[in-house]
Amino acid sequence: MSNGASPQYDVVIVGAGVSGNLIAKQLGVAGKKVLILEAGLAVPDSREEYMNNFYLALAKTPESPYPALAGRKGSQANPAGELPDPATLPTPRATVLGLGQAPNKSYLVQAQPTGQNAPPDPKTGEIRGLQFSSTYERNGGGTSWHWLGTSLRELENDIQLYTKYGHGVDWPLTYTELQSLWALAEKEIGVAASVVQQEPLDVVGLEYPPGYQYPMGPIPTSIVDQTVSGGVSGLQVPGTLPDTPGGSDPTMYDVFVTPTPAGRNSEPYDDRRVCAGNTNCIPICPIQAKWDPTVTLGKALDTGNVTVSYQSVAYNVDVRGQSVTGIDYYVWSRDDQGNLQKVSKSVTAKIYVLACHAIENAKLLLLSNNQKGIANTSDQVGRNLMDHPLYLSWALTDQPIWGYRGPLATAGIESLRDGEFRKYRASFRMEIGNEGWNFAVGDPYTTARDFITGTNDSNLNDGGPNGKPVRLGGTALALKLNNLLTRQFRIACMFDQSPLADNRVTLDVDPNTGKPNHTDGLGIPRPKVEYGMDPYTMEGFRMAAFVCSAIYKQMGATEFTRTSVGATGDFTYRGQNYHYYGAGHVVGTHRMGNDPYTSVVDASQRSHDLPNMWVVGSGSFPTVCTANPTLTLMALAFKSADSIIAALK
Amino acid sequence: MTTNAPPSEATVQAFADMSAALTGFQSSFIRPFLDPVNLSGTFYEFAVAQVGQSMMDALMSAFATLSSQSPPISPQQIADSLLEVTSATPSNQAQLCQAIVSMWYLGSWYPPPFQTDGLQQVISSQAYTKSLVWNLAQAHPMGFSPFTFGYWSQAPASLETFGVNTGNGGGQ
Repeated sequence: MSNGASPQYDVVIVGAGVSGNLIAKQLGVAGKKVLILEAGLAVPDSREEYMNNFYLALAKTPESPYPALAGRKGSQANPAGELPDPATLPTPRATVLGLGQAPNKSYLVQAQPTGQNAPPDPKTGEIRGLQFSSTYERNGGGTSWHWLGTSLRELENDIQLYTKYGHGVDWPLTYTELQSLWALAEKEIGVAASVVQQEPLDVVGLEYPPGYQYPMGPIPTSIVDQTVSGGVSGLQVPGTLPDTPGGSDPTMYDVFVTPTPAGRNSEPYDDRRVCAGNTNCIPICPIQAKWDPTVTLGKALDTGNVTVSYQSVAYNVDVRGQSVTGIDYYVWSRDDQGNLQKVSKSVTAKIYVLACHAIENAKLLLLSNNQKGIANTSDQVGRNLMDHPLYLSWALTDQPIWGYRGPLATAGIESLRDGEFRKYRASFRMEIGNEGWNFAVGDPYTTARDFITGTNDSNLNDGGPNGKPVRLGGTALALKLNNLLTRQFRIACMFDQSPLADNRVTLDVDPNTGKPNHTDGLGIPRPKVEYGMDPYTMEGFRMAAFVCSAIYKQMGATEFTRTSVGATGDFTYRGQNYHYYGAGHVVGTHRMGNDPYTSVVDASQRSHDLPNMWVVGSGSFPTVCTANPTLTLMALAFKSADSIIAALK
Repeated sequence: MTTNAPPSEATVQAFADMSAALTGFQSSFIRPFLDPVNLSGTFYEFAVAQVGQSMMDALMSAFATLSSQSPPISPQQIADSLLEVTSATPSNQAQLCQAIVSMWYLGSWYPPPFQTDGLQQVISSQAYTKSLVWNLAQAHPMGFSPFTFGYWSQAPASLETFGVNTGNGGGQ
């Protein structure tokens, strides 16, 4: 609380992730005194502890290396292990294993679709009541411990979607400004890529300033990439399929493969190792060849001006008039018996930065001022929640291509990311996977167990026409699995989902009493999520399924995609069922814009309502665009840091 | 479960020999001459703790009988026999063999159907990082690469190099 004394810090930052750490580093270098409040546990001295968690995890999900795990022994009821009740944890978070579960297993309170799909709304065509499938971490370093490393730039038309195609909203930034910000982020991360290799993407408007060079040379492509690249040679697909609502784009677009700029080292960089192809960028790089936010946190601490307070969960932002005057937070610990303890504290600064994830930022803004919310003149806090909903397809080639080797992905199809079709349907990028059917069906486990025990969960053990699944052993089993595993690959399509006002984060409180329905272990109300998809987005899925099948056909590969898993995360569009995954690209809950009545923050991520508060991260993205978000969210953090330093002068 | 003394050298070697037949891997990959990792001993003891000594003894006895037949039968024939691959209703002993193959391939205990109180689990970090199914992909366990930068742009070494016993009659 403010008591008239001078503030304790120049800047207090909530959250030690990509944005928070980068801003802390920039401020520390500029001689500003910074405190970071990090809700979760400290960054461990060695990642061996996290590696061991990963090795011993039954389900090697993105969250598996990080603290507060599922139990390590499965049962018939819960093969992946028992999940802890989020009401007992100080920093529960959304987890893959919690998807589709009730609030005693799932931190996010949300609709639990039964697999029976809701019909579209007759007016809007939207399907409501869908599951939000993305998850995140709450620990020192944040969710980007397990980012893939994909460091694509957005396209010029990504950030002017409304002006160019009459859909969504524009970003309040110019492409020229973003180009200079991306260059800063690419240097900080250490992005491996070649401008020459990216040049063919001028067909979708990708441009670099003259003479630009990435910090280091590209990551070699995999044999999987090389095979797909050759296989799609000459393939063209139309902009839209017949009967697309709203109009058609009959233009034929070239399908081609390009190497993916990556935040992993192709040469020693920043005192970190070269990538050894552990095929484990998600959930954890064992050797930190992939940049993660702890790298930048280390540099921030090295300035001598930055302090981190771990196990410190912000629960209220104090506001007087048009100023933030302090942040209230709990410092939590566990006593000798393991009971959760908490002490309430407050801290003051000249400037405050909320950097604790799109969903947590929205939660904190809505919690403040006795749950009446702050910084919300626009009524956009928590709204326009987006992801890159992900369509996964998979196939077997006719010859070995040796997946399960190299970084998880080294190339993609970016050539379909822009075109007139964006008036009518969601654009998407296509990521080629190097991990066989690991993502697709849980291989090599599933197929191995199929041939050991005579089941057919992989669809690879059907025994041929009229056949039954077989059981094998010895060399016959080894050769069969070798034959199958070396021919597997998958393609993931990620969509530029529409921003929808009703896709939103709210507090899970009783609207009459204001009392929380569900809390975390500290008594803080949990986020409630409502999610759906509009026809524009779903039409993107229809097109993606068409393009994937066309690619497999042209390559002579056999497709095995399952478009329904009969569980949460399915929808039906025009009679066809689709399954979507979360990409972890959580976007839009405090969107940026020039107009304080339609956006929460300005182009520097500064609150329109409260000029000494910045709300940063992917939550500021007005649209989710066609590139993975981390590079751009770091680029925006560079701009925020500059504006904070200017404001402190 | 009673606590048993560590298995004898001969028992561990016999278990390793049986495991080589069941998995199709060369004995030198299952139990190298110098083997500080000793998954053979670990898996033997783990399985005994799960299903009991008498059941393991019976399996080892069946393996001893098969492997001393005259004229000798191939490791593939021994595997097919122990796993009862043509049976629609494999016996409990064959189910135990499936669990043993799963330990070697996947590093985890998958309770056989007859073990109704069994819990699926990763046996140890080393059981994961040495699990053999990744060799069948001519690759490495995810998160544990012995290779170096750029290997993924070249074809891998042969399946024999990855330890598979390709020459014992199991080809198809």
